[in-house]
Amino acid sequence: MRYAAGWRSRVALGVPAGLALLLLVVPLVALLLRADWARIPSDLATPTVLPALRLSLTTTSVTAVLCLLLGTPLAWFLARSDHRATSWVRALLTVPLVLPPVVGGVALLMTWGRNGVIGQHLTPFGIQIPFTTVAVVLAETFVAMPYYVLAVEGAMRGLDPRLESVARTLGASDLRYLRTVGIPLVLPGIASGLALAWARALGEFGATITFAGNFQGRTQTLPLLVYVELERDPQVAISISIMLLAVSVLVLGVLRGRWLR
Amino acid sequence: MTPPGLRRDGLDARVRLSRGAIEVDVALTAEPGQVIGILGPNGGGKTSTVLALAGVLPLAAGHVEVGGRLWDDGRRRLAPEQRQVGLMLADSLLFPHLRALDNVAFGPRSRGVPRQQARQRARAELERVGLADRESARPGELSSGQQARVALARALATDPALLLLDEPLAALDPDTRARTRSDLAARLAAYDGVTVLVTHDPLDALTLADHLVFVEDGKVSQTGTPADVLSEPRSAYVGTVVGLNLYAGQGDSHGHVRTADGGLIVTTSPTEGPVWATVPPSAVSLHLHEPEGSPRNAWRLRISAVTMQGQSARVGLVGGVPLTAEVTLESVTALGLQVGHDVWAAVKATEVRTYPR
Repeated sequence: MRYAAGWRSRVALGVPAGLALLLLVVPLVALLLRADWARIPSDLATPTVLPALRLSLTTTSVTAVLCLLLGTPLAWFLARSDHRATSWVRALLTVPLVLPPVVGGVALLMTWGRNGVIGQHLTPFGIQIPFTTVAVVLAETFVAMPYYVLAVEGAMRGLDPRLESVARTLGASDLRYLRTVGIPLVLPGIASGLALAWARALGEFGATITFAGNFQGRTQTLPLLVYVELERDPQVAISISIMLLAVSVLVLGVLRGRWLR
Repeated sequence: MTPPGLRRDGLDARVRLSRGAIEVDVALTAEPGQVIGILGPNGGGKTSTVLALAGVLPLAAGHVEVGGRLWDDGRRRLAPEQRQVGLMLADSLLFPHLRALDNVAFGPRSRGVPRQQARQRARAELERVGLADRESARPGELSSGQQARVALARALATDPALLLLDEPLAALDPDTRARTRSDLAARLAAYDGVTVLVTHDPLDALTLADHLVFVEDGKVSQTGTPADVLSEPRSAYVGTVVGLNLYAGQGDSHGHVRTADGGLIVTTSPTEGPVWATVPPSAVSLHLHEPEGSPRNAWRLRISAVTMQGQSARVGLVGGVPLTAEVTLESVTALGLQVGHDVWAAVKATEVRTYPR
C-alpha cells in the first residue's frame, strides 16, 4: 500500500534525488551533445588511434585470459573453504578494488621495477618489465582480477555443496568435478566476471601510466590516448570517449539480468 | 554383535563423530543384499551417519568396513571417490546441465570407463528403472519421480558395494511417492550390495527395509526386524512411529504396571520387573461416565487434541496415563468430545501387552 506523500516530504526527498540523478546523467549527455558525429569515423581513423585501439584490445584480452586461468582456481578455493584465513584472503583481494590506481602503479613499480622485490632478480637476465606492454597487462590484471574472482566465487558459493559430495561418491576427483560440473554450472557467473574484469581493464589509467608509461604503440592504451588528445585535439578525445562509452553500455547489456535487476 | 574385521563381506561399521551438539555413536552391520532402514527424529544424527559412510564426513573414531575392505578407522580414511559407494539424497541432485544418460554415465566415466561403454551401462541402468525413453531429457524436463529414478540409476551405475539412500522419497508428492517406492523396492530387490536407507517415514522403512535401526540423539535406541519393532517398541519415538501408546513402568506378578508418572495399568499378561507396556489406540474406548465391569483399565483424562484421520478420529488425552485413542467420528459427535473436556478412557486388560525393558 502506498501513502499519499505530503508536498513537504516530496520536496525534501525529491530535490536531492533529482540533483543526484542530474550529477550522474548530465556528463553523459554532455559528452553526446558535444560530439561531432560526422567526424567520429575520421577521428577514429587518426594514426594514433589505431595502435592504441589494438593495444587496448590485446592487453585487455590477455588480462581476461589471465583472470580466467588463474582467477577461477582461486575463486574455487575461496568458495569451498570455511577457514578463517579465507576471509583474510578475500579482504586482501578487495584492496585493489578501493586502492587509488596510481598507488597500485607505484606498488607495481616496487614489485617489478629495476630494484623491485621481484624485478631485481630479473634485471641480471636483462628482463625489464616497467614501461613495456607486459607492464600494461600486469597493471590491468592487478585492478581487474579482484572483480573476476569475487564474481566467480559468489557464483560458486551458490552451488549446492551436496552436488560435489554426490560427484565424489561417483568417483570424480576435485579436478574432474570442477571441469565437468562446477565450471559448467557457474558459466553465467564466469561470463559476468569476465565482462566486469574486462571493462575495468579497458578503463585502466592510473596504474598503467605510473607503471607502464605512455609510449605510443607500446603502452599507450585508449584511456591514455584520450588524456593526450584532450590537449592536442579535444574532438578526437571526445570521439574515442564516445566509443568507450558505447563499449561500456554493451558490457552492461551482457551483465543485464545477472547483476542488474 | 560381530567383532570388527570378522565379517568378510557386507557392512560392518561403527560411526563415531560430533555433529554440533550431538555425539553420534552408531553401529551398523549388514549382509550383502540386506536393506538397513535408519529411522529417527530430525537432527538425531541419521544424515551424519550416512555422510560418514560415504566418506564426506570424517570419523572421529570407530571404523567402516565394506566387503572386507577398511574404508575408515578414524585415522586413515579413503576419500569418497576411492570407495565403492553410491549416494542418493532427497533432492535428486542430478547435474542439471547433463542429459539423464550423461548423469548416469558420470560415475563410470569418472572411474575411467570409455565413453561408449559408460553410455551403454547408463542405458542399461535407465532401462532397469523404466526410463529408457527419457535418456536425452535434461533433469529440468523430468518429473520429480523420474528424477529420483535417474538418481537411483546413477548411484547404481558404479556397482557400489554400499548404497546410501538419504530420504530418497521425501521430496516427492504423495502419489508419486507411492509409485516411486514400489519402483525402488523392485530395483533394490535386484541389487546385491548393502543398502542403508535413511527415512523418517515408517512406511518407507517397513516396506523397503529388512532390518531397522532407530537413531535418537546420536545413539541407537532400538534395532530389529520390522515385525519385532512393530510389536515391541522400546522408546517413546519408536512407539510413536509404530502408532502404539508406550509406557515404561514396573510390573508385578498380579499384572499391575506402575508407570514412572504414578499411573496404574492392568494387564492379563504380567511381566515382572522393569517393563514396557503397550496400548493400541484402537483398543481405547471413551466414555462420559465411569465405565462398569472389570478387569478393565479406566482413567479420567483431559482431552488435549482431536484430529481427523479418514473415517476415524485420534484423540490426545493427558493425565495420569497419557493416551492417544482412535475412535469413530460418531463417538466424537455423540460424546461431544472437545479439547479441554474430561472423559473416561477404558482399555481391556487383555489389550495391554507387556515385555521386559
